[in-house]
Amino acid sequence: MRQVARVRISRDPETGSDADAGPSPVLGNYPRRQEDGTCGTRRPPSPSPSTPHDMLDSMANENPFQDPLRFERRVPECAIVIFGAHGDLTSRKLMPALYRLAYDRRLSAGFAVIGISRTAMSDDQFRAKMQESVNQFSEDTTFDADVWKAFAGGLFYVAGDIGDAALYKRIGEKLAEIETARHTGGNVLFYLSTQPSQYARAAQGLGAAGLGKGNGWRRLIVEKPFGHDLASARELSDRLHEVFQESDVYRIDHYLGKETVQNILAFRFGNGIFEPLWNRRYVNHVQITGAESIGVEGRGAYYQETGALADMIQNHLLQVMATIAMEPSASFHANSVRDERSKLLRSIRAMTPEEVRQNAVAGQYGPARIGGEDVPGFRQEKGVDPQSQANTYAVVALSVDNWRWAGVPFYLRTGKRLPKRVTEIAIQFNPAPLAIFEDEDGPGSAPNLLIVRIQPEEGISLKFLSKRPGAGMTLRPVSMDFNYGTSFGERSPSAYETLLLDAIIGDPTLYTRQDMVEASWAVVEPIQNVWRETKFDFPNYAAGTWGPAAADDLLARRGHAWRKP
Amino acid sequence: MGGTVAPEKILRELSDWWVSLGKKAPAEAEAGMLRACSMTLVVLAEESEDVDRLRETIAALMPAHPARVLMVRLRGAGERALSERVYAQCWMPFGQRRQICCEQIEITASDAALADLPPVVLPLAVPDFPVILWCRSARLWGMPEFRPIQAMAHKVVLDSAAFADPKAALPRMAEAVGRGVLLGDLSWTRLTRWREMLAQVFENRQHLALLPRVSRVRVEFGETFEALAWYMGAWVAGSLADAGVRAELSVTKGAGGASLRVTVSGEGIQVELARREDRLTIVVNSLSHCTNLPRPAEHLLLREELGIVRHDPVFERALASAARLAYPGEK
Repeated sequence: MRQVARVRISRDPETGSDADAGPSPVLGNYPRRQEDGTCGTRRPPSPSPSTPHDMLDSMANENPFQDPLRFERRVPECAIVIFGAHGDLTSRKLMPALYRLAYDRRLSAGFAVIGISRTAMSDDQFRAKMQESVNQFSEDTTFDADVWKAFAGGLFYVAGDIGDAALYKRIGEKLAEIETARHTGGNVLFYLSTQPSQYARAAQGLGAAGLGKGNGWRRLIVEKPFGHDLASARELSDRLHEVFQESDVYRIDHYLGKETVQNILAFRFGNGIFEPLWNRRYVNHVQITGAESIGVEGRGAYYQETGALADMIQNHLLQVMATIAMEPSASFHANSVRDERSKLLRSIRAMTPEEVRQNAVAGQYGPARIGGEDVPGFRQEKGVDPQSQANTYAVVALSVDNWRWAGVPFYLRTGKRLPKRVTEIAIQFNPAPLAIFEDEDGPGSAPNLLIVRIQPEEGISLKFLSKRPGAGMTLRPVSMDFNYGTSFGERSPSAYETLLLDAIIGDPTLYTRQDMVEASWAVVEPIQNVWRETKFDFPNYAAGTWGPAAADDLLARRGHAWRKP
Repeated sequence: MGGTVAPEKILRELSDWWVSLGKKAPAEAEAGMLRACSMTLVVLAEESEDVDRLRETIAALMPAHPARVLMVRLRGAGERALSERVYAQCWMPFGQRRQICCEQIEITASDAALADLPPVVLPLAVPDFPVILWCRSARLWGMPEFRPIQAMAHKVVLDSAAFADPKAALPRMAEAVGRGVLLGDLSWTRLTRWREMLAQVFENRQHLALLPRVSRVRVEFGETFEALAWYMGAWVAGSLADAGVRAELSVTKGAGGASLRVTVSGEGIQVELARREDRLTIVVNSLSHCTNLPRPAEHLLLREELGIVRHDPVFERALASAARLAYPGEK
């Protein structure tokens, strides 16, 4: 049996009203949908666009098929150009993340990638290499041959040297070809996954070839480090700004892409009960730990130049601190949130050399035997100077000069070869004003702690005291836990999936802005300067321990102790 | 023999059960179990349904929507009787040491005892969280006893595809929505990814610019997708109408049980979405794209519906329109 319903729909394009509203039994009297998915009267039409481009722009927000209540975010068509496509980051993170986005139907049909590196390769060889990467490095993603085939059809490769103007000409030609064949609308996201020393050259090359502008938007993602001090960070920004506006520069900090870091914002500003406690009156101090159990893993030469302070604290941990300590933003718009993060970073007191000696500790791991295995010290690692003064461990005690946090120390700790891999924020609250349970030293005096775990088990725990069952009034600490992964049980997108999609959509909330980078360097640079002038007696902690004794002393002087996560 | 159910007794059993789980848990601070709850889910199912399969579906739902589950099994004819049992649904997330547990209460009710259900269910609902009613029984939905049960819930979830005549279910559901019932239909939920892919096509500015040229919408469905087809046709037509676009719509029954093909076409534009096994092929003029689109398991559909405890204007409008499209001659 064949069922057919035929309906003719007619609307007055000027008013949006039914041209034949009266007689139509089928579609008359529709409650019309507004952009937020609610019903209501249609907005009056915009003035007529004057050029084809204006017309396209005016229509960009008028997709009548959108359903914001159920659909994921709107993803525009685009091409990504990855500089450093032969490198580790592309293989391990970027391509698996892009494939996963394609697998989850998050990318437009014409999405394309152009890989750039010096190694000569055909498109097909590049596709084969990327398929290998996706197979090897995709976590919790099934490899689907059909999805890959469709995705790989959008992968292209251009070989060349970043300093060679001919490379950019070829990129331009390839982009034009893709724009026509795959309908990418001229939207291009450039991703600099090269040596940091090449960032400015790549941007300049793009600018000289006229690729910084086009039919659609042009954005640039830059990987850390963003300079090696304040002056070089400014210099880099200046070079990038010659081609790209600051609003089009996306400085990636993958920590901010982690679900739990985003959840800090939901936890703080989506709930009313925590904010009253979130200040100097109730918070005793804050510990932020980013610990790694592994060593430098073949990156000795890089680490020797950078060190833990610049590699972790200057970007990741300061950004986490800014998220935990920032003022509530007026809205969740990118600049609103970033303004508050930036303000917080600028409120951190820059230390004098004397204060650096009092409030910062550098460390470097020495050899040890862990789990029956000999583990080399940093100076024994490949590519490392046997007399290296580089820090593989850093602790800083920071003060925030604002009304909310004045007098509350923020302890930031990071290191290689610590006992376990863990990143967490521990907020210790002041004790009850009067101890009535006479358990001054026992477990009944344990402080209230709010712990935000970023990795490995993302979640939030609140530790408080409870009466031990039975006769007598004995207290013991108990933990109330929210485990992010298990409470929702869904796969969390990787940080790179989140951040790449954000950049394609044009949402820079989780990206670092120039003023934030500069404010971070303003905090870190005075410490770097003092440490550069200091002759350390390294190594000062054994691999597999929680760092040098001086770090414990730093807290002990203030009556505090490190939490052992 | 008639039976009764005492909510206080059930709540006491639940409490005892948590205490006994706590005693079994290892003493280490980091182990043990976590009690999780974000809603009360009342499941109404015929006793003849495969209960193990249903429990599996509910178990799969719990990590995303931990809930106190009241599974009401409908016995049909028989004397006025209710009976219950209480048990737990626990799972150990991969790589972790702590169990997550949710409470489940199973109640068996004869048709004659349906009127006794609300006074039992109400005190068992978790305070401060929504009550969602998942009615898997088309028979019950047509009974007058359903109304007071429905009145307890913030939202009612049905699956029109499971009804003997899915097309006939549409006007009845539209009528319920007209009365203010917050309703979800898993047939509509099955379309979300389809609809999203069609919307994605028109995120492209060049394609969007061609939208005014669309003049035909074709929806071709296999037998099992009839309700989906009416929804799809109604939604596409309504969305186009929003953009002031004239289009001729046809919804036709084709070959194949679980097939659905949607074509939106006009001068210079041809968009086709078609499913083959677990793939969705999208063809936009000459550009073809394939993506992963497995047939969603029931728990995934329900997961989406449980995430929307509010009016869904797009669905409600599509439902009203689909009902009118399916029966154009009726008011």
